[in-house]
Amino acid sequence: MTATVPPADRPSGVGRAAPPRPTARAWARENLFNNRHNSALTVLLGAGLAMLAAYGARFLFVTGQWAPVRTNLTLLMMGTFPRAEQWRVVVQVYLLCAAAGLVWGGLTASSRDRAADADVPFSRARLRDGVRRWWPLFVLLAVLLGMTRTWLPLAFVASALAGGVVARRAMEALPEAGRRAGWFGAGVCALAGWQVVSGTGGIAWWWGSALVAAALVRITGNVRSEARWQPAARLALIAGAVAVVWAVYGRLDFGGVGWDDWSGFQLNLVAAAASIVLAFPVGLAAAIGRRSQLPAVRWLSVGYIELIRGVPLITLLFMGDLFLGFFLPTEDPLSKVTRAIAVMTLFTGAYLAEIVRGGLQAVPRGQVEAAWAVGLSAPRVLGLIVLPQALRAVIPALVGQFINLFKDSTLLSIIALTEILRIRESIHGQREFLVTGIAETLVFVAFAFWALAFTMSRESQRLERRLGVGER
Amino acid sequence: MTTVTADSDDRPIVTLEGVDKFFGSFCALRDIHLSVAVGEVVVVLGPSGSGKSTLIRCINRLERHDRGRITVDGIELSNDVRAVRQVRRLTGMVFQQFNLFPHLTVLDNITLAPRQVRRMPRHEAEELAMGLLERVKIPEQARKYPGQLSGGQQQRVAIARSLATEPKVMMFDEPTSALDPEMIKEVLDVMQELAGTGMTMICVTHEMGFAREVAGRVVFMDEGEIVEVGTPHHFFTNPTEPRTRRFLEQIL
Repeated sequence: MTATVPPADRPSGVGRAAPPRPTARAWARENLFNNRHNSALTVLLGAGLAMLAAYGARFLFVTGQWAPVRTNLTLLMMGTFPRAEQWRVVVQVYLLCAAAGLVWGGLTASSRDRAADADVPFSRARLRDGVRRWWPLFVLLAVLLGMTRTWLPLAFVASALAGGVVARRAMEALPEAGRRAGWFGAGVCALAGWQVVSGTGGIAWWWGSALVAAALVRITGNVRSEARWQPAARLALIAGAVAVVWAVYGRLDFGGVGWDDWSGFQLNLVAAAASIVLAFPVGLAAAIGRRSQLPAVRWLSVGYIELIRGVPLITLLFMGDLFLGFFLPTEDPLSKVTRAIAVMTLFTGAYLAEIVRGGLQAVPRGQVEAAWAVGLSAPRVLGLIVLPQALRAVIPALVGQFINLFKDSTLLSIIALTEILRIRESIHGQREFLVTGIAETLVFVAFAFWALAFTMSRESQRLERRLGVGER
Repeated sequence: MTTVTADSDDRPIVTLEGVDKFFGSFCALRDIHLSVAVGEVVVVLGPSGSGKSTLIRCINRLERHDRGRITVDGIELSNDVRAVRQVRRLTGMVFQQFNLFPHLTVLDNITLAPRQVRRMPRHEAEELAMGLLERVKIPEQARKYPGQLSGGQQQRVAIARSLATEPKVMMFDEPTSALDPEMIKEVLDVMQELAGTGMTMICVTHEMGFAREVAGRVVFMDEGEIVEVGTPHHFFTNPTEPRTRRFLEQIL
């Protein structure tokens, strides 16, 4: 390894160690104090930062009057949600944690298998990585638990998280064949989580039936190769099972909580989550419709997108609140929250459509031609070739829109829904907090939003990085 | 159809009769008559903008012709979507820019069409794909993404992907024009081997060596017309048309 060997002739990296990481001292000298001018700047800015930090810390830990938040923590989180039904939310959280654990475990296991297939090393994400990944959420949880001063919430959160971790472990340990059952279990948990809150009403009927039908299609489809299920027998079996599920749901009656009972930060979360889930397909359909060859579909999409994008969300929310019901041919009007979610869905859908359209345009024409040339049908070209590439290109913008939607859920307060901002306002109507802690409650609300929005943003960056693997 | 060997059969598999193609008012193809026999290797030459690419893109309907008839294996191309898909299944196409699907692994690129179009089970499709990758001599790259391969390797994957639908005709649209010089040969070798197996091929290329050695027939195009058709020997040593002579003078 002499200096006379030109670098290009050497096999890359052989016998070459990466330069050692500089010590903190060396790094500081190199980057902060490398000349007189920069040293002065460093000292000045450092002093400024220290002062800001000191002020912040004093506000948080010394002068801040957090009593209004602490006293009303449950109110901020749940608002007017009926307290007698709180157990439903508790059970839901357990179920969703289990579902999330199963999904996480399933994803880990399948990427482990893929890594084994491709013969590359695989390192399993540990809990530590999870904490590092979602630290803003854990800080939020810690703040909430720190303010409660009873052990019950802590025990609840800890056991729910532990349940998720156990579910993940279990899923990972399953053999590949058993994992299908695990995925099914995750679906059941999510469904049950939904069900336990909404009771026997709502769309849980459809979910349940669809889940059972899907499972049976899978099962009979696998068996078919040996046992030769007759298509008619298969159909009859599935129809029968769906009918049974339907009938059972009809008989069951364990109450439930309607949309309108949601309130507090829960309402922000539920409204935003529902709108995000619903707006995505709407936006996708509008974006594809805008490029359709059929003029009627195209005009409809363009009309929807441009109409909605030209009107402020607040105006739309008022419109939805005041007269959306008039257009619907039902006797009993939709609940206020349902209408608000519908409006937020339509609003976000229009923006998503434009984002997705940008992604569609970024897919080179050659991709479509190559897919046609091998004989793929138009829907498959779209679903297997164009959309995966288009959506990947616009993940940051999509998530940005989702974050906007989440934050815009505070606008629900102006149509008199008791989301967190409105609850906060009402707190200062309480006699002891009329003028106390006005800034503190706002800071708390801001922090709750920030923790979640920042996590979403980090996750989108992570997703982007991961999907980018092998692209270039 | 399976017993046919190269040069043994004059039955045409691709025929074009009086085909015109316009882009707006620009005439890209003008009264094209061409028929390609089973097992034949046709090389299409001509200056850029002469309509070579448009010609083969009309054959699998990536472009729509405006007049005349195009038939592939007895199926006429029309606005009937099913006929078009049928023809696309019978033809394979290799593009200048490879056009591999960057979000899929090499293996998935190749198995996509067999699994989606021919409904082949996964393991069967993967066996087929591995066989094809052996044929283009890069089986070790199966799990990589296209972006991780060199241009020559990508183009060979593209050839394997086209072969996966078991086409009766392969079309090449300047397959080596986007490659670094040292990678051209590996692609041409694969194409030459393919021609040796009796595959019907229509190649648009600027590789004169390939045309001379592999082509059964050379078609020379200029300004959207077929100017001259002949054996490579005739074409390179004794062309009749003045436009052909001028072209050869410029490139040789």
